[in-house]
Amino acid sequence: MPHLVGQRLARAGRDCLMDGTARHGPPVARRLLVSGRVQGVGFRPFVHRLAHRLELDGWVRNEGGSVLIHVEGPRERVERFGAALVAQAPSASRAESIVTTDAVAQRKAGFVIDTSVSRVSVAVHLPPDLFVCEACLAEMNDHRARRHRYPFINCTQCGPRFTIIDGLPYDRARTTMAGFTLCPDCAREFETPGDRRFHAQPLACPRCGPRCLFEAGRTTIVDTDEALAATLAALNRAEIVAVKGIGGYHLFADACDPTAVARLRTRKGRPDKPLAVLFPTHEDDPLGPLSQWLTPSRSERDALLDPARPIVLVRRRAVGSAITNALDAMATSPPGERPPSDTTAELAAGIAPGLAEIGAMLPYSPLHHLLTRAFGRPLIATSGNVSGEPVLTDPDDARRRLAGIADAFLHHDRPIARPADDTVLRTSAGRLRPLRIGRGLAPLELEMPVALDAPVLATGGHMKTAIALGFGKRLVLSPHIGDLDSPRALLVFESLADDLQSLYGQRAVRLVCDAHPGYASSRWARARGLPVHTVPHHNAHAASITLDHPDVRDWLVFAWDGVGLGTDGTLWGGEALVGGPGRWQRAGSFMPFMPVGGERAAREPWRSAAALCWQAGLAFERPIERVHLARQAWQRGLNSPSTSAVGRLFDAAASLLLGLDHTSFEGQGPMWLEARAQGDGRAIDLPMISDGPLVRTDWRPLLVHLLDAELSIEQRAADFHETLAGAALVQAQHIAASSRIEAVGLGGGVFQNRRLVEAMSRQFSTAGFDLRTAQRIPVNDGGLSAGQMLEHAATVAVAARA
Amino acid sequence: MTERVTLAQGNGGRRMRELIAQVFVTAFGAAAPDTRVDAAIVGDPGGPLVLTTDGFTVQPLEFPGGDLGALAVHGSLNDLAVAGAEPRYLTLGVILEEGFEIEVLRRLVASFAREAAAANVRLVAGDTKVVPRGHGGGAYFTVTAAGVLARPGLTPAAPRPGDRLLVSGPLGDHGVAVMLAREDFGMSGDVRSDCAPVLGLCRALWPLPGLRFTRDPTRGGLAGVTHEIATACGHGIRLVDDSIPIRDQTRVICEMLGFDALTLACEGRVIAVVACDEAPRALRRWRNLPSGRDAAIIGTIVAGASTVVLETPLGGERIIEELDDDPLPRIC
Repeated sequence: MPHLVGQRLARAGRDCLMDGTARHGPPVARRLLVSGRVQGVGFRPFVHRLAHRLELDGWVRNEGGSVLIHVEGPRERVERFGAALVAQAPSASRAESIVTTDAVAQRKAGFVIDTSVSRVSVAVHLPPDLFVCEACLAEMNDHRARRHRYPFINCTQCGPRFTIIDGLPYDRARTTMAGFTLCPDCAREFETPGDRRFHAQPLACPRCGPRCLFEAGRTTIVDTDEALAATLAALNRAEIVAVKGIGGYHLFADACDPTAVARLRTRKGRPDKPLAVLFPTHEDDPLGPLSQWLTPSRSERDALLDPARPIVLVRRRAVGSAITNALDAMATSPPGERPPSDTTAELAAGIAPGLAEIGAMLPYSPLHHLLTRAFGRPLIATSGNVSGEPVLTDPDDARRRLAGIADAFLHHDRPIARPADDTVLRTSAGRLRPLRIGRGLAPLELEMPVALDAPVLATGGHMKTAIALGFGKRLVLSPHIGDLDSPRALLVFESLADDLQSLYGQRAVRLVCDAHPGYASSRWARARGLPVHTVPHHNAHAASITLDHPDVRDWLVFAWDGVGLGTDGTLWGGEALVGGPGRWQRAGSFMPFMPVGGERAAREPWRSAAALCWQAGLAFERPIERVHLARQAWQRGLNSPSTSAVGRLFDAAASLLLGLDHTSFEGQGPMWLEARAQGDGRAIDLPMISDGPLVRTDWRPLLVHLLDAELSIEQRAADFHETLAGAALVQAQHIAASSRIEAVGLGGGVFQNRRLVEAMSRQFSTAGFDLRTAQRIPVNDGGLSAGQMLEHAATVAVAARA
Repeated sequence: MTERVTLAQGNGGRRMRELIAQVFVTAFGAAAPDTRVDAAIVGDPGGPLVLTTDGFTVQPLEFPGGDLGALAVHGSLNDLAVAGAEPRYLTLGVILEEGFEIEVLRRLVASFAREAAAANVRLVAGDTKVVPRGHGGGAYFTVTAAGVLARPGLTPAAPRPGDRLLVSGPLGDHGVAVMLAREDFGMSGDVRSDCAPVLGLCRALWPLPGLRFTRDPTRGGLAGVTHEIATACGHGIRLVDDSIPIRDQTRVICEMLGFDALTLACEGRVIAVVACDEAPRALRRWRNLPSGRDAAIIGTIVAGASTVVLETPLGGERIIEELDDDPLPRIC
């Protein structure tokens, strides 16, 4: 099974501290404290099976967030036990360390799972939600099994975790499954060593477990099979169904029916934002059906199959090719072995307008398997929320808030303890990188190079917010919450802040927030009555990327994004920062410009385009009504705050090249521009201007080039990317002449752009720079809280030394 | 030659008396205060006295729909009216900058006198000072207004869950009109200030037992007033975006310049909180008045945290924050 985050087993093997001394002699007793992700992943049952196989006595129990094992028996077998503990650990586990000590033999026959001891310590690790495993899938498809077609089947190796856990240690009583009493059959499995459901906490069956509920208008269906049938019928009528899943509701619709897609867009008020698609899978060739519409690369294929089952952005085949492709498939595969999916259907054009990629995922819950298998075609599976808000988790909320969007609901009665949107990944420079941390990866547990003196909570940004909890060297990044403009987002933000602290048993004594006082997360921090430390936006972006590269000390980080408050009170977003966490110095930037209309510039790219043209003394010729008013305001500096943001340069280019003057989702300008670019691109030389300790890149020659109608739009879009990469390189070479730089990093939302990252990667490595990019943490504001935490920890550490 | 204010006109001597006679006494006529004494005796007000004081520093001094003089009268008297008082008396303190045009001063004072007379309120005391050139913005007026309590019990702590929020007319006109005039956009007159008395609007609601609170949304606009109410009463407020009256012209200018009409000042509107069952009656009473023609029910007091939430079309919800001193973009 491919793994997304690190080489879990290899890592566990390297880090473990084995105490292997003498090989022969009398019986010995050992205690092994296993830390890391060892709860909720079938670790205790695995230990139990292993001890039985080796005929060792003793016990295993959850101790806080770790697993403590007592084994006794012949020395040779005890040692084999220790080795197998690493080599044969469950695939979802991630042992960080095993500390072995000698113990006094207790001389009790047999090996048992001991009652959990609820003692919280720094060793707590919270398991993410796991996709349904092959064994459960096979059982679900077996018409003789008692869980045939049961959508909540799970075992010690799979099923929900993070989204059902109320408290640790991880036991059923402290999950949202507590209300479901085990039937005798399930209880037997739970108690039988050797059973795959031995101590499977969310274990359930049709008799005693959660059930589905279908609702449409006045129709209510409580039988799970009939509810699924009604859902499929609704989808086949081009209706929209809100389906409760693992981390929240999805809105499902037929991805091949343009009417259904258009209906969803109109009702959600989401004209352009790309919609995620859930593809059917096939037992023998899991990516077979998907490959009829999309062209995943090797690493994208691996990512789609990763246990996290993320949304992966994958290039689509040219329109019309699905039919050809299907015909090819039918011609080459013998009758009876054809994929079950409807291979002739085209994906609706409205799924991702203006983009070359589709956000694709494979079924990860048993319910998704049942639905996609029966439906046969790809399904839109977009977050069940009101735009920008966290995904809905509660049936009553969903009924109320999605009433105007969904024609029908497929609920279930397993409560969701906290929302987790789907994780989103995208490849750039040959590597998959998260754009959003969510179900399957969250909470993301990281280690900082410096230790905090006390627990701290970092509150992140204002858009795409995620929060982080830090204690010691540990850093825990929450799943994506959303934009903090809505009361629901703030509510989720607050309860997640509370949850993380109580689950990990760490009460924050300080808060860290962005330096922008108007962010809802900053306001929230100030209202808590705890000491608050602020971190400048771009310092946090820069620090965030260093977390993935602890070997580098002296950095040059390009922190390019939309807009964030800089240390001089102006809006930054095209900065070159030199140093490292706790000691960043601004060394480079862009010539500032003044988009008129303040916050509106983020949604209306023409404002950035106009600001550039007017400042350069060029005519701004987009057909904007009453543009003279804006120009007058710009001339007077009225609500036209100065910014050096590269994100706004992208917006300007999107307006000038694509005529995209008004957007309906964040990042639309840059995304459309990237999708339109073709060919290699030619870098335009941009001069640098000295401004005190800074060098500033003058964007004016680029603007002139963008306006050159002799060149194709595709060419100019490609040139734009290449030029920015080149400008960064010139800055880097200039800065490197006077500062020590080991590596160059890329932080900030602009670097979600694959073409730009790849152009920089190429240009910088040719010039001999070591270019580093974020790997586990989103470069956008979703990774801000992680950076804030490290920045704070580093600052505190520096202060403590002084 | 243009007649201008000199420093000597503020020295308390002959030149000052001349200025007062020439400008103020002329403007107020028979209603002018007795300039021979330093204090006015106004007699028994006949009920609990309600006092308010306000400084007026608007720039520019004259704008479409109003000027400093009218604004000073309405700003002060409206504060009394929304507090449930019938206004009776005014005082006026004037600070002039050396070199200020006398003709402009005449217009501003005439406007003040006209509006005070229309409101049937007497100016009982006044003062004039002159500051050196460069030390002031031409003219500042400071007004104290006194009235008698006519409708007790109006406090921002009174609203309770279920109560409705009403607004007497379109929001943001004053803020936009003044801003356009100040920045010399060359489009004066496109939007006129709503600067006007609100006593009539308040009187119309006073008889309703379910009237909890009234306030004029001046600086900070609707966002400021709703926050004040939410904080004082300890409940939340939900506003419905579609129902909030904003003139097309004002909306367009706000959109173009990136301003939020909910935070812009009004000088002739009232926000009222009325018990749910009396809200339709309150609305009818307002709509029967010329100044309440566009009145609307715009929101509800709800149980829960003291936050203000705007329900947007398509089911969205947005938290409305109070205006920051210097709002900077937050969106990346």
